[in-house]
Amino acid sequence: MMNRQNFQQIKAGFVIKEIGNELMLVPLSSNVSKMNELFTMNETGKFIWENLNGGMDMEALILNMSETFDVAPDQVRQDILLFQEKLSQMLSCKL
Amino acid sequence: MNLVVADFLIQINAGFPLQIDAGYVPYIQVHNTNCPDVIIECRQGLPIGLFDDCKILFEANNGHHKFYTIVRYGEGFGFLIYSQQFPDEIQQIALLDKDLKQWEIYTRPELDGSIDPMKYPMGPIVLYYLVIKNEAIMIHASGIFDGEKGRLFTGFSGTGKSTMAKLWKHNGSTIINDDRLIIRKNGNRYVMHNTPMYYADQPMSASVDAIHLIRHFPKNTTQCIKGVKAVSSVMAFCIQNNFDKLFIQNCIGFISGLCTSVRVYETGFVPDTSIVSFLNGHED
Repeated sequence: MMNRQNFQQIKAGFVIKEIGNELMLVPLSSNVSKMNELFTMNETGKFIWENLNGGMDMEALILNMSETFDVAPDQVRQDILLFQEKLSQMLSCKL
Repeated sequence: MNLVVADFLIQINAGFPLQIDAGYVPYIQVHNTNCPDVIIECRQGLPIGLFDDCKILFEANNGHHKFYTIVRYGEGFGFLIYSQQFPDEIQQIALLDKDLKQWEIYTRPELDGSIDPMKYPMGPIVLYYLVIKNEAIMIHASGIFDGEKGRLFTGFSGTGKSTMAKLWKHNGSTIINDDRLIIRKNGNRYVMHNTPMYYADQPMSASVDAIHLIRHFPKNTTQCIKGVKAVSSVMAFCIQNNFDKLFIQNCIGFISGLCTSVRVYETGFVPDTSIVSFLNGHED
């Protein structure tokens, strides 16, 4: 499960740029073959990123998202795991 | 010897004769007293063990062929440049200071004893580290100028960058280059410049008034894109060594400004000259 510590580890592997109301993520990479792997966040991803960035506790984030997006907490938990997996894949690392 | 590429002054110092690729010859300026943007000190021969125990930061290979490896060297960077003719043979060793301004390039002499400090891929590497510190980008793209507007066509390999350039040339436009361009900001406008290739071509530049992300398609079509989609799409075709946050920040910052000033389009095209009038009629 993602926690704030390994989120900080993930975050350190990216450069983030806010363009309009969207976020663009570019992973630091040690190989030229990864250079074109850019990442843009949808509304849900941006919500997770910004709230974890702001230091919100994981369980509080799940409840908050559940209310905001009207989705069951278990589904939110699953979505956050997928989000973590996607970010980790981009960094070619396992957290 | 001085080279002027994209209005950047590259000063090359050597205490011995240099053999420079034909593609660089049109960029030589003998008399230029401006302050150089980058200085290259040429050395003969390859030092042994210089990068022992240095941390590898970045490797450029395409799965079949190694181009170069970058290591941390003191506060700056060290480069192992591999021969493109003889795999695994080191062609050059280069050091770049932390300010990205001063190079020392050690080169294995050619069979005739000559030294080419800019031998591929060293030349494009020097240009890349020049652009990232100077608010510019280097991009895989073709660029044309029709006398009024400059257009840049970028996309994956095989999407038609060279074809598009030829179609515009057929209609009277000038090809700035059909493979690789440097884009710089000049006042309120963005300017594309060609760079030395393997063949000799005169230095050229033109304004960038539209950027097209191209692909072959059964009919001509174009759609303006904006925001993060435009920035990320253009960035995907830029030459990047993304092991350093500052490099990425500089690149994103520049492209964000570019995509704010210049319209970006997703363009599908039929490979005939109908695309010329189509784009003339459909760009904003």
